[in-house]
Amino acid sequence: MINQSLSLPNNEEITTAPNGHRLLSLGRHMTLLIEKQAIIRNVWLLILLAIACVATLGMGSMPISPKEVIAVLFGHGNVMSQFIVHDLRLPRLLAAIFTGAAFSLAGCLMQTMARNRLATPGIIGIDNAAMAFAVSSVVGMGVSLAPSAMALAGAATATALAFGLAGGSGTRGYRFIVAGIGIGAIAGAVTQLLLSQVSIDVANSAYPWTVGSLSARDPMMVKVLGIGLGTCLVACLFLASQFALMPFSDQVITGLGANIKHIRIIALVLCITLTGLAVAVAGPVGLVALVGPEIARVLARYRGIPLISSALTGALVMILADLFGRTVLSPIELPVGIVTAVIGGPYLIWILVRRTSRTSL
Amino acid sequence: MTATSLQFKQTSEINNLARLGAERLTLKHGKASIIENLDVSLPEGKVTAIVGPNGCGKSTVLNGLSRVHSPSSGVVLLDGKDIHSLPSKEVARRLALLPQDTLAPDGITIEELIRFGRHPHQSLLKQWAMDDQQAINYALNAADLEGLKDRLLDTLSGGQRQRAWIAMSIAQETPLLLLDEPTSALDLGHQIEVFELIRNLSRQGKTLAMVVHDLPSACRYSDHIIAMKKGEIITQGSPKEVMTKELVRELYGVECDLIPDPMTGSPILINMKRVRS
Ligand SMILES: Nc1ncnc2c1ncn2[C@@H]1O[C@H](COP(=O)(O)OP(=O)(O)OP(=O)(O)O)[C@@H](O)[C@H]1O
Ligand SMILES: [Mg+2]
Repeated sequence: MINQSLSLPNNEEITTAPNGHRLLSLGRHMTLLIEKQAIIRNVWLLILLAIACVATLGMGSMPISPKEVIAVLFGHGNVMSQFIVHDLRLPRLLAAIFTGAAFSLAGCLMQTMARNRLATPGIIGIDNAAMAFAVSSVVGMGVSLAPSAMALAGAATATALAFGLAGGSGTRGYRFIVAGIGIGAIAGAVTQLLLSQVSIDVANSAYPWTVGSLSARDPMMVKVLGIGLGTCLVACLFLASQFALMPFSDQVITGLGANIKHIRIIALVLCITLTGLAVAVAGPVGLVALVGPEIARVLARYRGIPLISSALTGALVMILADLFGRTVLSPIELPVGIVTAVIGGPYLIWILVRRTSRTSL
Repeated sequence: MTATSLQFKQTSEINNLARLGAERLTLKHGKASIIENLDVSLPEGKVTAIVGPNGCGKSTVLNGLSRVHSPSSGVVLLDGKDIHSLPSKEVARRLALLPQDTLAPDGITIEELIRFGRHPHQSLLKQWAMDDQQAINYALNAADLEGLKDRLLDTLSGGQRQRAWIAMSIAQETPLLLLDEPTSALDLGHQIEVFELIRNLSRQGKTLAMVVHDLPSACRYSDHIIAMKKGEIITQGSPKEVMTKELVRELYGVECDLIPDPMTGSPILINMKRVRS
């Protein structure tokens, strides 16, 4: 009897996590809420990504067994395999992972801000503008500024223009998309014009890059992209709870104490950074930004905003598309941009034609 | 967790009343001024009902008061400070708005929706605590949604969805609550339940304002009525003072007689006829 009346008072009741979540208490005042389904989904995607990496590193004109690939990755294996894996195949694989993740994450962010599945950086013309600026720095002006910086400037310019032309409606509504499509078309034409002004050899060497390819990558640009991507992913983790509010109406977002303008600006800056840096590496492979987040949303069963999953699916799509492009008509190599266009094009049409209750995002 | 412990927590937390008002407030949609030089303040710890015909600017005023709609001129004062100068999250801990039109993320359950109401109380390192859990349980109970909490919002009826949104603003646990037509889609039973909940919240010391179209309910469940027409407040005061057949005629172009409810004394409208002025 006495023992019972001395049981814990009300305010010491044990806090339990909401359905489907796990509570992580770090000390008295720090609690993190972790969604189990998201963890499971991302772990699976990471496993798939690891398998795809090992497979890709083993494939090519000199096949290497998965076992040997893993040995090499852990610092063993014979000298020949080490050379092929480390010096020939790994840089391209990293470029694929980084660009795929960057495009796809940027796509997911922009779709979320615009509340429209069509609003990806590729469709808004950011890819093309980034490319036009980068190409112009190489061929047009005769001065070769760092393509990353130029691509970033191009991405920012296109976004600002699309914003300006969209008027009061901001990133929401079709005006933003229509304005962006126009900007993308103009930027594409500018690139063609610039390439037509230079010698055929220069134009030829720039060609794969302008359609999107991982064969012309610059190691420095890959490194810059890797750093940029890492930074953006960390920023996304910090901002996840605010991004999660974006599907609500503006009234609700403000009512819950979030600053819509700030969130939008941050998200756009992230989109510009990711897209600009990725274009500097691989050219415009923007359709990954359409396909990657969609796969992530299907895996997440249309719940929440799967930013990390989008990055992972984007990396997977890019690796597979590049692998396909390298092997299907080997020894001829199809640029990855063309492979994703062949997959992504019909998909885009399907989105436009299909009408469901979920067309809002 | 018992109902009494919840009740206790709700009352004990509200120690300071919140004051909300506006001075010379002008709100525009594009170029059109919807509200001009409006002075208004909500009586503390009371329920205020805002009535008026469609399009007279009730929602616009609520949006202005809750800093969702920025004023072209004038100022909204929350506890004596310009609401736009306060950090938005801080405002969200003092003031909740239930908008008239709502739009929720896809594939969200009722409980998840209500959980968003806790956003202003959470931070990167404090993502879930006992008060979140208690507030959500209280809100689920108050809106009679315990049995539905795991249902998808899209699969609910309009009234059930409206109750979920009400629960979300209750879970925000603010001393000030602005509700735009909270009962427009509810059946009689749930209407009364929501009105009684509103009364209850005001007894706990909260300040509430609601837009209501049903005049008898407005009179019965509020302490103060603000009557609006064409962006202006034409009269305000206690229901008994304000509600007259002349006001009904002026607001809605409806002739009627008012009789007191034999039980509560609050006015009931009979013999209604549209006259259009
Ligand atoms: N987004 C908008 N753009 C332009 N005008 C608007 C907009 N929203 C509202 N208005 C106008 O502002 C006026 C006031 O609208 P408000 O929504 O505040 O009315 P209300 O009193 O809430 O009406 P209701 O009872 O129908 O909800 C109306 O004349 C309306 O046409
Ligand atoms: Mg309204």
